[in-house]
Amino acid sequence: MDASEVEFLAEKEMVKIIPNFSLDKVFLIGGDLGPFNPGLPIDVPVWLALNLKQRQKCRIIPPEWMDVEKLEEMRDLERKEDMFTPVPSPYYMELTKLLLNHASDNIPKADEIRTLVKDIWDTRIAKLRLSADSFISQQEAYAKLDNLTLMEINTIRAFLLDTLNCMYKLRSNLQ
Amino acid sequence: MFIADIRKDFYEVVANQRVVLLVAPDIDALCACKILQALFHCDQIQYTLVPVTGWQDLGTAFLEHKEQFRYFVLINCGANVDLLEMLQPDDDSIFFICDTHRPVDVVNVYNDTQIKLLIKQDDDLSVPSYDDIFRDEDEEGEDSGNESDEGSEPSGKRRRFDEGAVERRIERQRAKREWEARRREILFDYEQYEYHGTSAAMMFFELAWVLTKDTKDMLWWAIIGLTDQWVHDKITNMKYVTDIATMQRHVSRHNHRNEDEENSLSIDCMRISFEYDLRLTLYQHWSLYESIYNSCYTSCSFKLWTLNGQKKLQEFLADMGLPLKQVRQKFNSMDMSIKENLRDVIEESSNKYGMKDIRIQTFGVHFGFKNRFLASDMVHATAALLESAEKDDSETDNFIKALDALSRSNIDRLHSGIALAKKKLIAIQQTVASCICTNLILSQGPFLYCYLMEGTPDVKLFSKPMALTLLCKYLLKAFVHSTRNKRCKLLPLVMAAPKDVEKGTVIVVGIPPESETSDKKNFFGRAFEKAAESTSSRTLHDHFDTSIIELKTEDRSKFLDALITLLS
Repeated sequence: MDASEVEFLAEKEMVKIIPNFSLDKVFLIGGDLGPFNPGLPIDVPVWLALNLKQRQKCRIIPPEWMDVEKLEEMRDLERKEDMFTPVPSPYYMELTKLLLNHASDNIPKADEIRTLVKDIWDTRIAKLRLSADSFISQQEAYAKLDNLTLMEINTIRAFLLDTLNCMYKLRSNLQ
Repeated sequence: MFIADIRKDFYEVVANQRVVLLVAPDIDALCACKILQALFHCDQIQYTLVPVTGWQDLGTAFLEHKEQFRYFVLINCGANVDLLEMLQPDDDSIFFICDTHRPVDVVNVYNDTQIKLLIKQDDDLSVPSYDDIFRDEDEEGEDSGNESDEGSEPSGKRRRFDEGAVERRIERQRAKREWEARRREILFDYEQYEYHGTSAAMMFFELAWVLTKDTKDMLWWAIIGLTDQWVHDKITNMKYVTDIATMQRHVSRHNHRNEDEENSLSIDCMRISFEYDLRLTLYQHWSLYESIYNSCYTSCSFKLWTLNGQKKLQEFLADMGLPLKQVRQKFNSMDMSIKENLRDVIEESSNKYGMKDIRIQTFGVHFGFKNRFLASDMVHATAALLESAEKDDSETDNFIKALDALSRSNIDRLHSGIALAKKKLIAIQQTVASCICTNLILSQGPFLYCYLMEGTPDVKLFSKPMALTLLCKYLLKAFVHSTRNKRCKLLPLVMAAPKDVEKGTVIVVGIPPESETSDKKNFFGRAFEKAAESTSSRTLHDHFDTSIIELKTEDRSKFLDALITLLS
């Protein structure tokens, strides 16, 4: 799977916007959207929110977890624990990147949020590397992947599986 | 005709149509084009962008697209010529013209169906009234009708009626001749001087504002369009200051909207600020010394082409207490302690040296940690990209590169533009110095004249109209500062430079005389036309600015003689 495919899947998440136009209910295959009324908040998928934002037709409201204090708590919790802690959202990395790139003027303290999310990501990837390393060196049979997001799994998937395949070949050749 | 409500009569008309954008090659037009493109992207209006460099280009582009498109938007071209006669369009083609060239041709003003002018009606126009110029044709029919009626009267009364009829006819013909003479005079006065009106970029920004779709990017482009008019000396000082005040209102509105007390904006967001900054071109991207050396204002005040002038410059720097080592290194690497009060220190010292206007009102933009630009920096960089004299770049490529440099995501291109602009400014400075020192400027009576020989260094740069006009203005300013002849100080300047060596053409530019309160009205357009006609020289009046023409090198001397006789 490609990172861009994961981002594409992330765009299905819902986010709150405040439109400045009015439109009747829209019937799409994936579900219904609307009706849109100027000034009234409404939940839409991220792909639509970004498109409307770029056409200056709405204002994006940051999700609840995208707040400096909450993210600071999560980061500190992540650093304390050995295992993976629950994430703010299954697509937290992609959503942060998309929303901060296109709508940073609607998100307060955008720079700090970017730094905090990067810190959380770095800590989790470091833990992932450590656990993958111990998995291979101690030849464990299974690993628990609680609370890992698709993006993190995706970063390690290709490499880990290839490594395991190579090691299997080497071991079977030895015998 | 003039459009009253730009949203209803222009935007909503083109909202569901495909349009052709015909854009002239100057920075104001580029900025206006960017704003319009952004608006079209918001509302998903399909458009085709065609850069046009002159009247011939405009004609060809029109012929190519007239089958498929009904709506044409012309930016900074087309207002000062009878467009319908030139293009011969079908009856359903509609032209929206947003042009800063004045005077607007009277046919364009009074045509109700096909030509819509996106110009404010009170924008410094003084168009002659309809009755003074156009006369209904019915009166001709009445005359002949009356005569034939009276001719069929019985012969007894005929002689008496004949005398009355003949007298009336003579009277009418005399009135008609008088009316026509007055009409010619009015039109001559109206079309004699060429000048510029409000920036096209500002017009389109107003459209965006009316639609409440204005963003900081669009505001910045409108500011660049206005600054382009000032840098290339197209508008008077008064107008520049008034327009800056208008832009300042928009800037404060945008800044107010976004900055709350505790929720500060991301550093990547664009911040526009009003600056009362120094008139030193590109000084924040260059070293202070180079900038002072190559800016027109300081170079002419110090007379830096003389040895005396250079000594004065050293004195000036010493007076401010700036060590030479600091002043010669890149501005960003100068000591913070020097940079802090730089503007005030320079202003104080320059007052002592007779430079009262070293500071000018302008705007600056700031986004990201590294990127700070003044509006005039952007104008110089984009102009250098637009007219870059590389061999393998076509004019359309240069246009697209310059257009790209205006977006925030193409900072590399902007930096390459700044590097080109530095080279251009150095070349201008050196050419000015050599022209003054070798007395290349000759007084021909009613005007000053200068010809750049083919072997002059960097002469390829000056085969482009904007660069040559800039050189012309600097040269005139330098000449005014260096000459002692009082009469010569009030003369306009005509400059010629080789354009194409193989075809043997030169490009000729005329600019009005240099003065503090100049109204920037240029009469050379008409003068060049008449001189070319009277000597049947082979000229090409292709540029949208009528004061820039191309001429065959062999016809240069007779053209000049004709011009001298015409203007004396």
